Amino acid sequence: MKNKTTRFLVCSVMIAAVLCVGVFGFLAFYMNRISSEIMSELGTVYMTGMNERITKHFETTIDYRLSHMEDLINTNSAEKEDYLEWLAYSAKARGFECLALYSSDGTFQMIYGDQVQVTDPEPFLHSMNNGEKKVAVGTDSKGTDLVLVGISAVYPMRNGKECTALVGGITVDYIKKVLALDEENALVYSHVIRKDGSFVIRSADAYRDNYFDRIWETFGDMNGKSAESYVEELKFAMEKEENYSTVLRLSGERRNLYCTALPYSEWYLITVMPYGEMDVIVDELSNQWFQMAFFSGGAILLIMLMIFLGYFRLAKKQMKELEAAIEKAELASRAKSEFLSNMSHDIRTPMNAIVGMTAIATANLDNPQQVQNCLRKISLSGRHLLGLVNDVLDMAKIESGKMTLNMDRVSLREVLDGIVGIIQPQIKAKRQNFDVRLRDIISECVFCDSVRLNQVLLNFLSNAVKFTPDEGHIALSLYQEPSSKGDDFVRVHLEVEDDGIGMSKEFQTKIFDSFTREDGARVQKTEGTGLGMAITKFIVDAMDGTIEVQSEQGKGSRFHVVLDLQKAIEQEADMVLPNWTMLVVDDDRMLCESTVAALSSIGVTADWALDGETAVKMVLEHHQRQDDYHIILLDWKLPGMDGVETAREIRRTLGDAVPIILISSYDWSEIEDRARQVGVSGFIGKPLFKSTLFYGLRPFAEAFDKELVPLPPQQTDFHGAQILLAEDNDLNWEIAEALLTDIGLKLDWAENGQICVEMYRNSAPGYYKAVLMDIRMPVMNGYQATEAIRAMTSRPDHDIPIIAMTADAFAEDVQKCLNSGMNAHIAKPIDVVEVSKLLEKFIK
Amino acid sequence: MTLQECYQALDGNYDDVLGRLRSERLVQKFVLKFLDDKSYELLCSSMEAENWQEAFRASHTIKGMCQNLSFTRLQQSSSNLTESLRNGWTPEAVPLLDQVKQDYQQAAAAIGELKASLGL
Repeated sequence: MKNKTTRFLVCSVMIAAVLCVGVFGFLAFYMNRISSEIMSELGTVYMTGMNERITKHFETTIDYRLSHMEDLINTNSAEKEDYLEWLAYSAKARGFECLALYSSDGTFQMIYGDQVQVTDPEPFLHSMNNGEKKVAVGTDSKGTDLVLVGISAVYPMRNGKECTALVGGITVDYIKKVLALDEENALVYSHVIRKDGSFVIRSADAYRDNYFDRIWETFGDMNGKSAESYVEELKFAMEKEENYSTVLRLSGERRNLYCTALPYSEWYLITVMPYGEMDVIVDELSNQWFQMAFFSGGAILLIMLMIFLGYFRLAKKQMKELEAAIEKAELASRAKSEFLSNMSHDIRTPMNAIVGMTAIATANLDNPQQVQNCLRKISLSGRHLLGLVNDVLDMAKIESGKMTLNMDRVSLREVLDGIVGIIQPQIKAKRQNFDVRLRDIISECVFCDSVRLNQVLLNFLSNAVKFTPDEGHIALSLYQEPSSKGDDFVRVHLEVEDDGIGMSKEFQTKIFDSFTREDGARVQKTEGTGLGMAITKFIVDAMDGTIEVQSEQGKGSRFHVVLDLQKAIEQEADMVLPNWTMLVVDDDRMLCESTVAALSSIGVTADWALDGETAVKMVLEHHQRQDDYHIILLDWKLPGMDGVETAREIRRTLGDAVPIILISSYDWSEIEDRARQVGVSGFIGKPLFKSTLFYGLRPFAEAFDKELVPLPPQQTDFHGAQILLAEDNDLNWEIAEALLTDIGLKLDWAENGQICVEMYRNSAPGYYKAVLMDIRMPVMNGYQATEAIRAMTSRPDHDIPIIAMTADAFAEDVQKCLNSGMNAHIAKPIDVVEVSKLLEKFIK
Repeated sequence: MTLQECYQALDGNYDDVLGRLRSERLVQKFVLKFLDDKSYELLCSSMEAENWQEAFRASHTIKGMCQNLSFTRLQQSSSNLTESLRNGWTPEAVPLLDQVKQDYQQAAAAIGELKASLGL
């Protein structure tokens, strides 16, 4: 293709060059020709003018001479005695060389001058006898050429006859001079010839007697015409008394020849103009033409060449770009199709969870807890899958940077719970060790896009699972620190670490590009789209976070995401647990410490141990001190003795009294039976947030309360009977409320006697079933209040049961109460059993 | 310090209170609230202002609270003071007030320690 283009371009240039040379060459040649033609034309025009002028001049000269002759005749008639002297005198004065009388038989009688002879007497004599005026050429006895001017005149001759004409002679040189026939440096020269070609007057270098001979001899070939044809043409024109003009080559140069007939004679004027100098000029012109043509042609060629080269380069560049674009398009298309076929990676992870969990649920239909657990995970995975599919569909959106984050209040606990739930089955399948580490949690709830955060973590984790061999280690860490963005923000660190195959340095630089996966035999068998990391990077970027990758081949990888997230105000509804002492057992010291800190913030003191053996020892020590731990949190996977064994050991020494709870990031369904058998009381899944611990331990707190002091079996329930309690002391009020609410009473609180009276007065009759009355109250004491109530005789219930509750328990006090109108008296401290018995008596 | 240790320190009857309130949690909650009550301050200021009636009532309230919480020692001393003030001022009131003050401080210290050990 490239060769073709090159050949085409070269051919084009060559054709253009040839065309250029041809056109300009033709132009030069044609112009040369035209100019030479114009020259000939100009020459002809010029010669015509010149010949006319000379002819005219000749005519004028001859006329002038003839008029002289006429003057001579007119002024010197034959009647004059000495006419011959007079004639001679006058003729001399008029510059005639000689003067003679011409007889009709053709003999001259000289008046003065040498004897002359007419060179061609016939026509001259004929004309003279006919009374015409005529010139002819003659020679005198010395051989000097003379032009003889004859005019009819009648003078007596010496032989007695009368002459037919008077003939005057003037030198040929005079004619030449007058006609300027022989001028030096003149552009043109002229001859005068007769019909037969013989010269009458010759000029320049003409030395032959006959002009035709001259043509014959000096003729050079031109235009293929022979000298003969020229001479013939000339003769023919002379015969017809026509003007004749031609261009011919004489003496090696181009000459223009023009021939006209001269008046008063049988002569013809031949004017010749050599082109010599003009040819030089024309040649110069044509040379210039050629040069101009050459240079302009060259210039045009050069410009065209340059244009061609430029175009060629452009075309070459475009071709390269086109090739690159094609390559890119092919790459993209390959990547996309690869992506489509390999979409499994991101989608399969949660899909596997769904399928697996469905199978587990099906197999455990009789175990509702298990089914519920499975369903929870299925729904988590399903939700994630949905989000992921949306992502894939929105891939174009993501790539064009139009993805938006849906920032909402997110509980990190829920996020991590969900992720751990999704990833657990995969980890289990590869028997990997998984750990979730939590520390320095400042704010459990933050504002974040939970779906995206899920996606990021799940991507890291599923990669870690994928690229870590069986029984390898994977850890997810979450910790927080104050953010540089302000007090409203918290810096969240998320780390996913594994000891898998790791990545090469080169691959680490492009790990976040789309559709990339490390090549090499060790990765080939692992499926994946290579899209996950690109999406992850994009999401973290969109959250203004950073991703850091540390990896070494064969050693493992560590992904570290740092996000500054806005804190969400936590709704920590009174997260307080009983004042327990607990033991936390985990091989991760960091987890132990953070868990202990979290526990202490919800009212529990805790110790920690790093392995099962130490834990058992500590439990024993406490047991011997009669100071048993209330609850023991036990990691399942422990070095040495594992969680289940440790639990068995503790149960062996402690019995069943102390709840033992397994903590684990694994799905405990498979060990549940075994764990229950050795006496494990329950499970809490990692990560251990404060809320995780609180909600996980609360059931034990309730059981703890109940177990410790069982309610009296004869407990009465008052089914929400409304009681008015007058008590000025907060603490006493609260204690009473706590105790009495327990037995089904509903209490309204009056802070002193007066308020008590008012509340009673404002209540509907029969609303309160009884009044519990403190005695010592400010503003109005119990006695006065009782009297006031009893005084409301208009009310049907003014005899409502009023029971005194007082710290005074002397007999006289009791009597005083009864006197004031109360029905009974209870001494403080409040005893539920006693109160309920009394109330039972008074409330029907 | 545990709640039990606290009761030991302020000379109260832990088993008694637990028997009545039936929950360590409740006991702890009310013990912690004991110091919030203003009756003690009222007692001291009333005694100083020689408002015997008000002092009697305050002392009586303290006694009631102590009965509820089984703070045996403070209950006894406050009860004594109450009786000495029931019919106005008596010379015994002064040393009895000192005893109440001493016992109250002891209880307050114990509760304070408990609070501290709970991280409050």
